[in-house]
Amino acid sequence: MTQPQPDPQSDTQWPRWEVFKQDSEKRPYQAVGSVHAGDPDHALLTARNVFVRRPAAVSLWAVREDHILSATPEEVVSHPDVLDTPGEAGAYHIGVKKSHKRSMTFVDLIATVKAGGPGDALRQAQAQHPDALTWVVFADVAIARTDDDAETVESWFAPARDKTYKQQQYYGVIGKHVGELKREGRMPRRTTQEPHVAGHKVYDHPHDQTSEMLRQRAAEVEVKP
Amino acid sequence: MTAPTTSLSEVQQAALIRKLTALADDEIILAQRGGEWTGQAPILEEDIALANIAQDELGHAGLYLELRRALDGTDADTLAFTRSADEYTSARFVELPKGDWAFTMLRQYLYDAYEALWLDAARKSTYGPLAEVASKAFREERFHLQHTALWVERLALGTPESMKRTQDALNALWPYVGQLFQPVAGETELVDAGLLPDLNAVKTRWEGLIVPHLTVQCGLVLPPAGAEQPGRDTHTEDLAPLLLEMQRVAREHPDVLVW
Repeated sequence: MTQPQPDPQSDTQWPRWEVFKQDSEKRPYQAVGSVHAGDPDHALLTARNVFVRRPAAVSLWAVREDHILSATPEEVVSHPDVLDTPGEAGAYHIGVKKSHKRSMTFVDLIATVKAGGPGDALRQAQAQHPDALTWVVFADVAIARTDDDAETVESWFAPARDKTYKQQQYYGVIGKHVGELKREGRMPRRTTQEPHVAGHKVYDHPHDQTSEMLRQRAAEVEVKP
Repeated sequence: MTAPTTSLSEVQQAALIRKLTALADDEIILAQRGGEWTGQAPILEEDIALANIAQDELGHAGLYLELRRALDGTDADTLAFTRSADEYTSARFVELPKGDWAFTMLRQYLYDAYEALWLDAARKSTYGPLAEVASKAFREERFHLQHTALWVERLALGTPESMKRTQDALNALWPYVGQLFQPVAGETELVDAGLLPDLNAVKTRWEGLIVPHLTVQCGLVLPPAGAEQPGRDTHTEDLAPLLLEMQRVAREHPDVLVW
């Protein structure tokens, strides 16, 4: 249950806002990360800079962290009262995380429901998607959203389409990417063991590696420009 | 390039080259000032945002210098990385050191408003290649302006300290900003021919945009207009050290083939 209670004495950070990005009108909003910002407008502006300079998007939502209720199945078992979390009745958005496959924490927003409060919305999310790894809910009224007029789309989102964009795995992957291993049939479908190549652990994303390991590995690998 | 290039007289071409270079020089120098914050901005998100803005400005410089290349065959990198302070034609407004966050945001705001409005007018240029470049850059500039306008407002209406810093920044910048609206030699003829926006008209729109925002919305006090400014051949003493750092790698490796 990601409801951190910052200590007002020691916490000088601005509030955290979860950012949800829609790649095209036909795609669901996806959680892409978070920004710290002083207010809703500022959150959207920084979110655009951080998450939409390159990849395509048509719309952004920012939701302040204390307006989001989330829980894993394990957390619901250990703290069942999370399903009774009180709050305003109204429209709630439901997001689910269905896979650990990607290193990015994709949570797709997949439904909007009428709920008596965040706890009720979480209960509905659980009923609709019992197999999810995490449920996320927040009220529709909590969303700061980019305008969808032509001018905003043109100045916020259109420039990214003209810029070169490379998926993150293009950069700095040392050794082999797991996708490559999968294509070669060397990646077990289900395993508790991390994939290895020639004695080296293979990671889904270079950031998953510790800097010390990266340094060790860098010495062994020929880097092509 | 879609439209056929307007045929230019020799005098017109020389003036257009002068103007494109001045536009590019302002972008390059301001981008370098913005880049100086990389790794040092108040928070990570703004560090990324300012680097984005600076990179966009540098991109605009590249667009202007490509237009120049089409006219006289000069190379953008050579122009950016080998000219001395005497050869640069940047405005002193963009040369001033980056200062504090309020100074940086206010300068960027004043510049973004000017550039967005200049580009907006340049989209109607009779010189096709410029109209095309302006349409492209205008979109980004309008977004920059939203970002920096928000910052100026938050700082001016924030704490007494942030208000004081923003007012100090305005006092320091105001005498220099008029230079952005000074025509280069021969510019008037290009304006008359419809190739370039009329700077007086751009300035009127600019003042109509930023003066109410700074005074009414942000509660800042506009300093008196500065004295008439010398031209773009006169620089601050801050330009040479900036170029020294910006051009260092290129000067140390003059024979490099690929960057």
